[in-house]
Amino acid sequence: MTAAAVFEGVEKVYATGLLGRGAGVTALRGVTFTVPAGGVFGLLGPNRAGKTTLVKLLLSLAEPTAGRILRLGGPLSDRRTLARIGYMHENHAFPRYLSAEELLSFYGGLSGVRGDALPARVDHLLNRVGLADRRREPIARFSKGMVQRLGLAQALLNDPDLLILDEPTEGLDLSGRLLLRQVVREFQAATKTVLLVSHVLPEVEELCDRLAVLSGGRLIYCGPLAELVRDPHDPSGRRRSLEAALRPLYEKETPA
Amino acid sequence: MTDLPTAIRTVRWMVWDTFRQSLASKLFWVMFGLTALCSVFCLGTSVDIPGERRRHPAEIPDRLPVTESSPEAEQSGIPKGGGRMRLGFGLFETPVPKFRDDAVRFLQVWLAGILADTVGVLLALVWTAGFLPSFLEPQSVTVLLAKPTPRWTLLAGKYLGVVLFVALHAVLFVAGTWTATGLATGVWDAVYWLAVPLLVVNFAVFYAFSALLAVASRSTVVAVFGTILFWVLCWAMNITRHHLVGFDVAGVTATSTVLVEVGYWVLPKPLDLSGIFFEAMRAADFSAPVPEFAAVRDKDAFHPLASIFASLAFAAAVLALAAYEFRKTDY
Repeated sequence: MTAAAVFEGVEKVYATGLLGRGAGVTALRGVTFTVPAGGVFGLLGPNRAGKTTLVKLLLSLAEPTAGRILRLGGPLSDRRTLARIGYMHENHAFPRYLSAEELLSFYGGLSGVRGDALPARVDHLLNRVGLADRRREPIARFSKGMVQRLGLAQALLNDPDLLILDEPTEGLDLSGRLLLRQVVREFQAATKTVLLVSHVLPEVEELCDRLAVLSGGRLIYCGPLAELVRDPHDPSGRRRSLEAALRPLYEKETPA
Repeated sequence: MTDLPTAIRTVRWMVWDTFRQSLASKLFWVMFGLTALCSVFCLGTSVDIPGERRRHPAEIPDRLPVTESSPEAEQSGIPKGGGRMRLGFGLFETPVPKFRDDAVRFLQVWLAGILADTVGVLLALVWTAGFLPSFLEPQSVTVLLAKPTPRWTLLAGKYLGVVLFVALHAVLFVAGTWTATGLATGVWDAVYWLAVPLLVVNFAVFYAFSALLAVASRSTVVAVFGTILFWVLCWAMNITRHHLVGFDVAGVTATSTVLVEVGYWVLPKPLDLSGIFFEAMRAADFSAPVPEFAAVRDKDAFHPLASIFASLAFAAAVLALAAYEFRKTDY
């Protein structure tokens, strides 16, 4: 099965200064790992670790300075693979003048959902995220949680093979979080891939099979979650919390 | 490569989004209200010309309003004639030439060729300047940029949406004022409709520059002030070139002449667009022409089609540059 994403020696330096001639800010340094197809893959790291940059590169929102990235088996230049990806962003500002129904039709149209399939898909997703009764209201009247639900619905419009969730539970209430977990589990069951970027460690622990941990733009861990949380000092292989497992990794990377 | 149906579909959605944005921001209704106001103003037009008759085909242009007296003109045989035109149900009154058709065209040239073509286009540029920067805000556009549609189609769709929005209002403005004037005076001159392409081309060319500024800066302030400054520069370049060529100004170096000529042909030419409309409306029959414009006309140094195509080529080049910049931008 083709990997969902492959990163090989990826570097990203953001240009700074007038006409981009400054020294630049290095966001990623030689990052190499693979996101296998199927399952839930977590992307973790402290602030400014490079997680969002990595997602941006994968979605062609920015170009890598060096290295190679394969998206669903194809090069980044092939934008058709984006039609098989759903992306939910934590702070996305949707056009406030559109209603939920209009927004999903608009984004669905741009995602390649065509003809009669589009209204049916919009209808289904509005019901799914619990916004069917508010479908004709302008987004300006929505709470943050409702906007997040709408963000989830738009990410599912094209029935993606790879779902990228960037801090998805930010602003969601309990039922919203339960809905999100249910969606993730459905992806798992359908052997589709979820790439989850999150700071909420219990959520990561509950949902993810594998993890990549970034710090200071470098990859410091990539492997199964179970391996990371196994206590190396306990001969019986007892599990420790993800927080306890990550702390020494972060401390090693960040000098006191 | 982008397949054509995808590009067309994207552009269509972006046009739809722009119209929704214009309705939500009330801009649609503000512009519609101004058009309605101008139409009502025109509906209150009346022309009173004593001893009115039809123009003889060989008759010389009448440029001498009834209120003015010039002994030289009278000696030359130019008749003093004309009447008065009341506008806005008697709010304003102005002397007009001796023919009703000329009087109405005089009003229409003012409405479309001067008011809409300068104040209207500038207001449209200012009011729509925020559409692209707000769309290009990273928080607003990232999810759209992660869709399979190429970036240039999003930009082209937004640009086309704004141009079509202004085109719709240009049509409404011309239709409204033409109908109102026709109903009030009985003069129905279809040439007035030429104002629609004039206004649209004029706006589209400068909005392309506004789009480039928006992509480069993502700032409404930069887009507004940069475009206004550029508009002034283009008018100045256009008039300067016609002045130099039309009046054979002494003391200008060859280098300056070449630079002005290059600047004229590269930059948009708003005076030329107005001039083309004035000529179509036979404005010389009832008002004094712009001296620079008349001078280049006399010297056969004005090429209307080449001028329009050069302005449109500038817009296309600037839009291509904006699309390139947008494609290379990291979000």
